[in-house]
Amino acid sequence: MSEHDMNDVPTPPLPPVDGLLTGRVAIVTGAGQGVGEGIAASMARAGATVLLAARRADTGEPAAERIRAAGGAAEFVRCDVTVPADVEAAVAAAVERHGRLDTMVHNAVSPPGVPRPIQDVDDETIALQIATSTTAAFLCARAAFPHLRTDHGSLILLTSPAGIEGSGNLPLYGAVKGAQRGLLKSLALEWGPAGVRVNAIAPVAWTPAMDVATAANPTLEARLRARTPLQRIGDPTDDIGPVAVFLASPLSRHMTGQTLAVDGGRYLGL
Amino acid sequence: MARRNALIVGAGDPADPIADGLAARGWTVQRLTDDDTPITDTAVADGFPDRDGFDLVVHARYPAASRRRTALAELTVDQWRAMADEPLESAIRLARNVHGDLAASSGTMIFLVPLMASAGGDGFAPMATAAEGIRILAKSLAKTWGHDGIRAHAITLDPSAFLAAADAAGMAEANSLHDPPLGRVPDLAGEVARIVDALAGDDFAALVGASLVVDGGLWMPG
Repeated sequence: MSEHDMNDVPTPPLPPVDGLLTGRVAIVTGAGQGVGEGIAASMARAGATVLLAARRADTGEPAAERIRAAGGAAEFVRCDVTVPADVEAAVAAAVERHGRLDTMVHNAVSPPGVPRPIQDVDDETIALQIATSTTAAFLCARAAFPHLRTDHGSLILLTSPAGIEGSGNLPLYGAVKGAQRGLLKSLALEWGPAGVRVNAIAPVAWTPAMDVATAANPTLEARLRARTPLQRIGDPTDDIGPVAVFLASPLSRHMTGQTLAVDGGRYLGL
Repeated sequence: MARRNALIVGAGDPADPIADGLAARGWTVQRLTDDDTPITDTAVADGFPDRDGFDLVVHARYPAASRRRTALAELTVDQWRAMADEPLESAIRLARNVHGDLAASSGTMIFLVPLMASAGGDGFAPMATAAEGIRILAKSLAKTWGHDGIRAHAITLDPSAFLAAADAAGMAEANSLHDPPLGRVPDLAGEVARIVDALAGDDFAALVGASLVVDGGLWMPG
């Protein structure tokens, strides 16, 4: 539990997840911090060997070390998710070192920038948001598919409630996160007969990006809490990670094409 | 609304019949029909330097490459960019183009999207990716541009409005166990254009950010 989680709403302790993913191998992109690191830590806690794919070694390697220090199996692999060769190399590393790839989690996304209408978004932000959200999702899916098919694994995309309801603050972010949901539903149909599942998580959680946003807007945290039935913002490892573990495990073997909003109940439109 | 200037973006179906239907309803229709050239931030200003502003913009632009059935694993990255990323980015750029015109006229922007945006499409992952991004873009624009007096909506249409007949039939079969409750797929130039016309009019001035499904009742999302 982080210091952000303190509130008056009872939060039960997490049950043990040991063994749920024992013997399985996962790649998590954007795992150097935030939700990606939380998912990687949670999957490692459940027994998976996790490759933390991150663009920067100065975040990815320490994140992997933190997981190893906690007793998990984790490795850093340098990967810019917009570069096809990097994504293919990350998948090759998983298969060559560990003999399989069961789960590909695409979480990486470039910063959406400050709130502004679509006509004021700069060209670089448009290019990066599309490259990291849709092009990279394609690259991760394509590279992982042969191995996911062999091991009856799953692809997990990190989308957002903004990708379902749109966003007045970040209209571009809403569009690219919505695009990922079009992809996941299509791949669920396309890959279902091969036994490969495709699902998404739409989280709201404490991340470095959220820290920046709340620092810039001091009323944001209180407003978010007020609009969240469980009255707190999720923890990447203890709130978001276990849902990724569920989607990666056989517990969700009959689920595909779904988006799970993991946001304390803030978005209720599904 | 006295002046009724519409810009219809996209070639072939469903853009052509929608343009015809709106013209029949008294709209002065102009077209951007080059689906193979990415839309730039000055495409509308360059294409219509003498325009008298637009009151309605309809987006139905999906390049021919996007409308082709392809297994994702067989796509190159350049194909993916042409089939998914480029149509999404061009829709974003179109919105940037027309914001000024629509703000000046308190106008309406409507995005026509295929069913696979919200329902998925086996073999059409790139088009579904672009289209669902575009459908959610409409909601984002509605939220952002409402303060400027602009309304934005998305209309989901049967796959037959976008795809070859054989592909569309297969998709309808995959998405529903029954025939359309309406007994047919709505006619584009007549019934769908009438809805577009109505959404742009004063009778629906209170409707903002709607995501309508106009497919005869095949797809009824929760």
